[in-house]
Amino acid sequence: MGNHFIAILFILSFLLCPDLLSGQQKYESESRMRSEEVPTEAMHFLDAFQNKRKVRWYLEEGLDRKSIEAKFKLNRQKYSIEFDALGQFEDVEIEIRKKEIPESTLEKIKSQLSLDCGKFKIQKVQTQYSGDKSAVLSTITKASRSDAVTIKYELVVKCKSGNNSSLLEYLFSESGEKLAVSEIVFKNSSHLEY
Amino acid sequence: MNTKLLFYYTALFMVFILGESKAQLTYQTGLLPAVNFNYKLAGDWSLNSKLESRQRLSSGTFNMDGQADFDYVLTDISLIAARKVGLNARASGGYLIRITDDKAIHRFIQQFAMTQKLSGLRIAHRLVTDQTFSRDELPEFRLRYRWVTEIPLNGQSADPKEFYLKVGNEYLNSLQDGSYDLEIRGLPLLGYIIDEKNKLEGGLDYRVNSFLRGNARHTFWVSLNWFIEL
Repeated sequence: MGNHFIAILFILSFLLCPDLLSGQQKYESESRMRSEEVPTEAMHFLDAFQNKRKVRWYLEEGLDRKSIEAKFKLNRQKYSIEFDALGQFEDVEIEIRKKEIPESTLEKIKSQLSLDCGKFKIQKVQTQYSGDKSAVLSTITKASRSDAVTIKYELVVKCKSGNNSSLLEYLFSESGEKLAVSEIVFKNSSHLEY
Repeated sequence: MNTKLLFYYTALFMVFILGESKAQLTYQTGLLPAVNFNYKLAGDWSLNSKLESRQRLSSGTFNMDGQADFDYVLTDISLIAARKVGLNARASGGYLIRITDDKAIHRFIQQFAMTQKLSGLRIAHRLVTDQTFSRDELPEFRLRYRWVTEIPLNGQSADPKEFYLKVGNEYLNSLQDGSYDLEIRGLPLLGYIIDEKNKLEGGLDYRVNSFLRGNARHTFWVSLNWFIEL
């Protein structure tokens, strides 16, 4: 009975999943990159941080674009720097605490979140710096603000309205205007639950 | 939840179990192939159906010659209905029938599971109660807790065409005919995501029970899992 069972089980599975071996589905993914594979320009940008700790490099492949991301910790803060596929600088994101957002901006953000969600909880905040890369660097490292730098706040928010809970990613301007919002979709976890 | 602490605690506990139960170390090895079907229903509901078989390959006592005895042991077929009850939590309930050569065993299952996304890994906690009934034996009541982590081997999350490690630990408290037993399971598996709808896992499903009574029974299943999203 045992051998028959296994045979039936596999035949059944292939019948139910005819595209199993085709491997033609499109997908989005991110994967680790070795530092030797990183474009020189991106490597040079990181030199300015004088970071002695390990930098993790990731290649993010979407449906229509590729990008490169460097992640590291510096002075107890989490940094994430994004480049395009050729190593051209795009932005720097630094994880901060909620209370580090200027008070007037935070109040505006909270008002917006109250409108969108019944109840909400801010789970993660990042300051996003973009613009001229030298200006971004001096803004971050020397805390000297330049007009050539655009600051935005990226928030991960647990939003509950009625019986529905969702995790949302918000992008706010420096003054607290809502710029974008998208739902974070969880990866399937049935293999962890059953 | 501190994941490192969980790992250390589990390793320490396993060493303790193995050290304490030197006197009577009986073992069993075998195959545990399973196919797991998941189907999303309307709203927050989903269905899970699992087909799992056990084939024994050998059994014996440590330090003595074991014997190879390939044998079909049983087949489990289960159907569980689940409802999302929070951002990343699910409550579910269902029924399992266990078919052996000579009888059928019935089990009712209630489960609560939640999954957390941490930096570079996911961890799921699962709490299960079940009640088992059969014609020849008294009912068995169990309370189980399992944690399991998914550690991507490439990048910060496991994506299609990538491998991941699945490491976990489960504690099963059992009460039958006034007699209590604890079973501990350890789970190191290597997984591969074929595409968004198919995952394969292979590795060890280690189980030890009866060690509280001083005659520990160790079971080493070669676990082969196929998860299919319908």
